Amino acid sequence: MAASALFILDLKGKPLISRNYKGDVGLGEIEHFMGLLLQREEEGALAPLLPHGHVHFLWIKHANLYLVATTKKNGNASLVYSFLYKVVEVFCEYFKELEEESIRDNFVIVYELLDELMDFGFPQTTDSKILQEYITQEGNKLETGRSRVPTTVTNAVSWRSEGIRYKKNEVFIDVIESVNLLVSASGCVLLSEVMGTIKLKVFLSGMPELRLGLNDRVLFELTGRGKNKSVELEDVKFHQCVRLSRFDTDRTISFIPPDGDFELMSYRLSTQVKPLIWVESVIEKFSHSRVEILVKAKGQFKKQSVANGVEIAVPVPSDADSPKFKTSVGSAKYVPERNLVLWTIKSFPGGKEHLMRAHFGLPSVEKEEEEGRPPVAVRFEIPYFTVSGIQVLPVGGIWGWGGYGAGREHGPGG
Amino acid sequence: MPYLGGEEVVRELRRALSNPHVQADRMRYRNAVLRVIRHMAQGVDVSGLFPEMVKASAVSDVVQKKLVSLYVRAQAPRQPQLALLAVNTLRKDCAHPSPAVRGLALRSMCGLRMPGIQEYLQQPLLSGLRDKASYVRRVAVLGCAKMLKLQGDCEVDGALVNELYSLLRDPDPIVVVNCLRALEEILKKEGGVVINKPIAHHLLNRMADLDQWGQSEVLTFLLRYKPRSEEELFDILNLLDGCLKSSSPSVVMAATKLFLVLAREYPHVQADVLVRVKGPLLSACTSESRELCFTALCHVRQILRSLPGHFSSHYKKFFCSYSEPHYIKCQKMDVLCELVNDENVQQVLEELKSYCTDVSVELAQGAIFAIGNIARTYTEQCVGILTELLGLQQEHITSAVIQAFRDLVWLCPQCTDAVCQALPSCEDTIQDSEGKQALIWLLGTHGEKVPNAPYVLEDFVENVKSEMFPAVKMELLTALVRLFLSRPAECQDMLGRLLYFCIEEEMDMAVRDRGLFYYRLLQSGVEEVKRVLCSPKSDPSLGLLEDKTEQPVNTWASEFNTLAPVYGRERWALVTAHQPAEPSYTCSHIDSSNRDTESLISEENKEVLEVHPDTGSLTLIPDVYLTAEQFEKTWLSLDTNWHLSLPWCGTVHPDTIQTALHVVHIQTIAMSKAGVQPWKAYLSAQDNTGCLFLTELLLEAADSEMQVSVKQSEAKPEAMQTFISALKTVMGTVAGLES
Repeated sequence: MAASALFILDLKGKPLISRNYKGDVGLGEIEHFMGLLLQREEEGALAPLLPHGHVHFLWIKHANLYLVATTKKNGNASLVYSFLYKVVEVFCEYFKELEEESIRDNFVIVYELLDELMDFGFPQTTDSKILQEYITQEGNKLETGRSRVPTTVTNAVSWRSEGIRYKKNEVFIDVIESVNLLVSASGCVLLSEVMGTIKLKVFLSGMPELRLGLNDRVLFELTGRGKNKSVELEDVKFHQCVRLSRFDTDRTISFIPPDGDFELMSYRLSTQVKPLIWVESVIEKFSHSRVEILVKAKGQFKKQSVANGVEIAVPVPSDADSPKFKTSVGSAKYVPERNLVLWTIKSFPGGKEHLMRAHFGLPSVEKEEEEGRPPVAVRFEIPYFTVSGIQVLPVGGIWGWGGYGAGREHGPGG
Repeated sequence: MPYLGGEEVVRELRRALSNPHVQADRMRYRNAVLRVIRHMAQGVDVSGLFPEMVKASAVSDVVQKKLVSLYVRAQAPRQPQLALLAVNTLRKDCAHPSPAVRGLALRSMCGLRMPGIQEYLQQPLLSGLRDKASYVRRVAVLGCAKMLKLQGDCEVDGALVNELYSLLRDPDPIVVVNCLRALEEILKKEGGVVINKPIAHHLLNRMADLDQWGQSEVLTFLLRYKPRSEEELFDILNLLDGCLKSSSPSVVMAATKLFLVLAREYPHVQADVLVRVKGPLLSACTSESRELCFTALCHVRQILRSLPGHFSSHYKKFFCSYSEPHYIKCQKMDVLCELVNDENVQQVLEELKSYCTDVSVELAQGAIFAIGNIARTYTEQCVGILTELLGLQQEHITSAVIQAFRDLVWLCPQCTDAVCQALPSCEDTIQDSEGKQALIWLLGTHGEKVPNAPYVLEDFVENVKSEMFPAVKMELLTALVRLFLSRPAECQDMLGRLLYFCIEEEMDMAVRDRGLFYYRLLQSGVEEVKRVLCSPKSDPSLGLLEDKTEQPVNTWASEFNTLAPVYGRERWALVTAHQPAEPSYTCSHIDSSNRDTESLISEENKEVLEVHPDTGSLTLIPDVYLTAEQFEKTWLSLDTNWHLSLPWCGTVHPDTIQTALHVVHIQTIAMSKAGVQPWKAYLSAQDNTGCLFLTELLLEAADSEMQVSVKQSEAKPEAMQTFISALKTVMGTVAGLES
């Protein structure tokens, strides 16, 4: 699979950056892209893959940009999409945000990166940690004699450089779980699953070898421990650094970590999960005069835990005006550009129930087109709490363990 | 692109670049170079700055070198002479102590797409392949492919290929994968890189070191390897098992394909693989990236074609959520239609029903058609839901429901009564052409079961003058004639009016002709009309609508994880329909060869061919045009005087041949399109004595011989000889150009 060329376009379809890797597709082809996209959108037949003559456009949209790969070969679509997302990820790590402005401001780095990420249409070094070692923003601001290629590029362990030293050796572990819930309009839970990731922040010297285990049901059965506090993981995926053979034999996760932040593993489990915060809304619309909204939110998690930064977004008709709010806790504000009321609660303990009332005026002349009724969205974070009850356990004597959630542990000097 | 003030800008930039003070300050120098690049990106013609820019690359600042290399690569094709200036600096950089500089220089040099660069490339590339830094080796390996691509048709250097094969043992994983990629490009004509047993086993062992891109590509290359024994096959499958659970969806897909293809003779292994890959595929279907999710859904549909029940227990995963784009929702609904079974049908229908009232017209109609699809198996429930939807009296909903009913009645005649009961009173809500057609068809075909059918059709007849769509009028004609057969008394009068309108007042010819057709048919008596219109309805061609036969995995295994399933079967057929067998090179080739032929023939061959008419006894007259009928008549009346075969290689470009023949005054009567097999052409020519030469060219398959048969209207062996040799020359020239 090879992408012939890569384009970054603005919303109007004008190329901001283009890189012709193979030269078998003319750079002019991209001019057809936007027209094709709009035409398909009108027909209701938009897809992330658009053909034009012999050329296939594979595109993704990020913020106000289109990233488009062109190819003539009948290749692997998921590879191209993964690569495009990787490009976005790398750019985001460099510029915090990837958007038109940041592309224009970091013109040079973008070209440098595009040169390293892909050659002749084939993905090359895409690990942003390694790239950051020899393409730096500082390098562009200040001249340094940096003409060395990092050892990583030549290393057998491609994800870690040799000769890393820290005065204080530390490892931080985060278990981040998100719950994917599908609730029908009548309020019954159709589908619930937990998607989890374990993220590590590693500041260790040398080439340390780490091992850890999970309260995974298979492991517990293997070692004859009880089932009561174990979880059954499905669809476990590991970072490249983890020795899979080891996991298969004795379920320990053994690896040489990359330096800094990385995602060690991700997993999924489909268990019956009660929604952590249950929101009920009553929206009464009196045509030509007003809308009354009543929202009730209930924390359905343990009393000891507290949800932080709770944001409940309640959609309102786009022609509503003169908002009035009353909340039992937190504050509400009207966000007219997104047509919603945002109710924010800094801390929301488990078992509590809160109310918000909103009142909007409606114009006497009604809009013609019908509006959809988008769902109420809730966003929150509960520290030191995992839905699945997963725990990271120490294995062997390499390092100990304290607490879970956002834990912290000091390992021995490497 | 015209850009006002461009010259001014270039002059100012030149001043800045050649200012010694700027050159002394690295930061200012780099900024000046950067400004040039920015202007280049905006479309200013900065080609005049070439010498200054080349000079700017001779500094120690790597970033500046990169910028200059960007400039040189963009400008080189336009100014090959000046680009050679840059080559010198780049060659020097290829021996720089820093691997980063060496790699960069090598990459820039290979990126210069200009003729004649190859001779400068060879040496640095060879030393690059042996460089001790893997960074440089990676660049050099792909550089070899770039160089050979520039060379075009030149023969491949065997030593280089061997060198690349030996680099497959390189310790650096990216070098290994790049070698495969490069060899694949270089050996394209011989069918790509050869994966024999040692290479395959070596790659299998290196699998763990590769990154996700490398793994997916190596898995694709391994498709080419055929294990010798069953034992070896299962060893390979065991080794690669981890790839099925990789965190990268592209690796999972590539591995699945490899497994399915390798185990093509072991259906139980294939089934097992599809079970194992279920989890990863499902999680890709709920992936955060819409595009990956879409791709995964397309592949799920592909799998469902062979194993309809495969995802049935996971049906909830395919319920749409509010924020998903339309294309994902459509795919999900299609998946739901395919995995429905006795256990989940209730829930699936509930879910689909809730989409039917969505504000998006496309989604709502899609959901209705999906229910219509499921109705083929679970008729009663679905007809109930659809009938309920009619009560909403929404234009787009009613239209879609009626269309779904029409298809359903075709396939499941047992539901006709239920459908007919639902029909009355929906005619007022339908406005669009498709919906009207469906309704009229239903009323015509099953009008005997709908009490008010004639009156509904009468409304349509009344308003036929203001009807916008010809298709609706045609449907109305057919329906009314049909209904007339079952309920003549109620229909006779309005059928007369409709026929009168269609024949006397209608402007659309198709409708008029249809009207006349029915008029004449009716004249031949009712029995005859019945025989024509009411022949058996469930003929086997209706299988087209259904096509639910399960396909064996092997029918699609080879196109798994390509663009084909992502486009979908129908669209993929459309996309590939206009492409020649090998799409990668032909495009540019046609253009150039066309231009070449025109110039070649008008310059040289014209003379060559005109020699014949003068010296020999043959002068072909220009502008004698035979019509196809005349040609056919003459052709059939004559015997073949001469038969010969010409060597031919590759496909035919009809335009080129036609142009070439026209130059020597041979007229083309008819010709097949490019790529059609067998390819045929009919030619005619006339000399000044009035003797006709008729020719047939026939190419059975590409890369065989072209059969030429010539017929002559008067027996003149000498003239025939001359004509044949002229024809040979022309075809020889064209063949030479195209091979």
